[in-house]
Amino acid sequence: MTPALRVSNLSHTYADGRRALEEVSFAVQPGECVAIVGPNGAGKTTLFLRLCGVLTGTPGQANVNGLDPADPAQRRKLPETVGVVFQNPDDQLFSPTVADDVAFGPLNLGASVAEAKSRAAEALNAVGLPDAGDRVPFQLSGGEKRRAALAGVLAMHPAILLLDEPSMFLDPRGRRELLGLIRELPGTKLIATHDLDLVLDLCSRVIVLDGGVLFADGPATALLADRELMDRHGLEVPQRLR
Amino acid sequence: MNLVLRHDAIPDSPLARWDSRWKLAAFFLAVASVASLDHLAPAAAALGGGALLLVVARLPFRWVQLRLAAFTLASLPFLILLPFTVEADSTIGSIPVSERGLVSGLAVFCRCLAIGCCVLVLIGTAPMHVTFAAAHRLKIPGVFVLLALLAYRYAFLLFDETRRLRIALRVRGFRTTATRHGYRTLGHAIGAGLVRGADRSEHVAEAMTCRGFDGRFHTLLEFRSHLRDVVFFLLAAIGLASLVAWDRL
Repeated sequence: MTPALRVSNLSHTYADGRRALEEVSFAVQPGECVAIVGPNGAGKTTLFLRLCGVLTGTPGQANVNGLDPADPAQRRKLPETVGVVFQNPDDQLFSPTVADDVAFGPLNLGASVAEAKSRAAEALNAVGLPDAGDRVPFQLSGGEKRRAALAGVLAMHPAILLLDEPSMFLDPRGRRELLGLIRELPGTKLIATHDLDLVLDLCSRVIVLDGGVLFADGPATALLADRELMDRHGLEVPQRLR
Repeated sequence: MNLVLRHDAIPDSPLARWDSRWKLAAFFLAVASVASLDHLAPAAAALGGGALLLVVARLPFRWVQLRLAAFTLASLPFLILLPFTVEADSTIGSIPVSERGLVSGLAVFCRCLAIGCCVLVLIGTAPMHVTFAAAHRLKIPGVFVLLALLAYRYAFLLFDETRRLRIALRVRGFRTTATRHGYRTLGHAIGAGLVRGADRSEHVAEAMTCRGFDGRFHTLLEFRSHLRDVVFFLLAAIGLASLVAWDRL
């Protein structure tokens, strides 16, 4: 089967000389839900920014649903394929109303106003915010903001979803609701997180990244139960596996 | 947080129902016309007209009062300074005063407040994003509209962050004082705010890129003109033209 996402010897160095990723290689099959775990500064967000084409690099190091994010022509097609939900929803909810924000992506992809409205309504419905369209993003709660941000991405019907710290800033109820929501989402999912309980609930496979280097790639329960591996990379064995 | 009226709190009025494109066009016309007035009587009439519009718009009195106070404060220097800076033609006690300067100062004061009234009517009778979308329909370049929209959206966050920063300073015993420590701390706080702002703008740009943003402004809003909108605009245009004509006579 052709992988939905393939990364081969991917490296990234920032302009200030900081090396964020070093020779990272892995592949994700269509429909798979994979967690990228690691301490702060492990390179998780950089990896996502490379995969969605925000950060550019050497061609041939990544392939996202048949597109190379490093190729300018193919990069322009990436938003149709890959959706990113960022760490802080306030960075993502930039439009004056929730409906405008959710429709932002479809309108950019060339959808008509009627289609964008319908896609926005469908996505808001899917995330459990059917009546939030007219609300101002600033007035939403943390959990609602997170769901609205997710709706903005879902409205673009991406084949691959990249979720960066999805449970951050959420209270237990918000976290639980989001977990159920992510579980129901179709498509390939890559989740960067510190929340290892969330990983156990959602992902069958885990990739451990630390200092930009990929240290382990394997079944979630086996890797997360490895106390030594977890300790070495600034993580903790989840309560359920102790 | 109440930078402008929230769009769910806009009182129903003929001005609120006026198509935002026509309203914005009338606003531009009004600002240009009022700014061009030279004499006191037409300027005072413009102020009267502006006040009447505020009444028709049924805007909350306190909301109007606070914002109009800001316009008053901004235009007050003209009223205070001009009588004493233009060539004096009479005296108050031993202080030379110019009657012409006083009239000019009053005219500037009235013009500023009249424009202030128009601004309040514009932002108080339609949600900001609707007005911005209307501006785009009136051929204002999309990049300006987007910048204004983003600035408006993130102004709320900025205020929120400033409030949090203020609390963080206060709980650690900081009180604003005119000392070196006070100025330095404020400088650091402002610096932190700027750095956070730059960081946030970078993240917003990344989020926009990921969702296919290509520099064009899109909106879900659809505008529809009715005869009433055109009639309102024509009435406003005739009124403003009469005001300018009166001023030139």
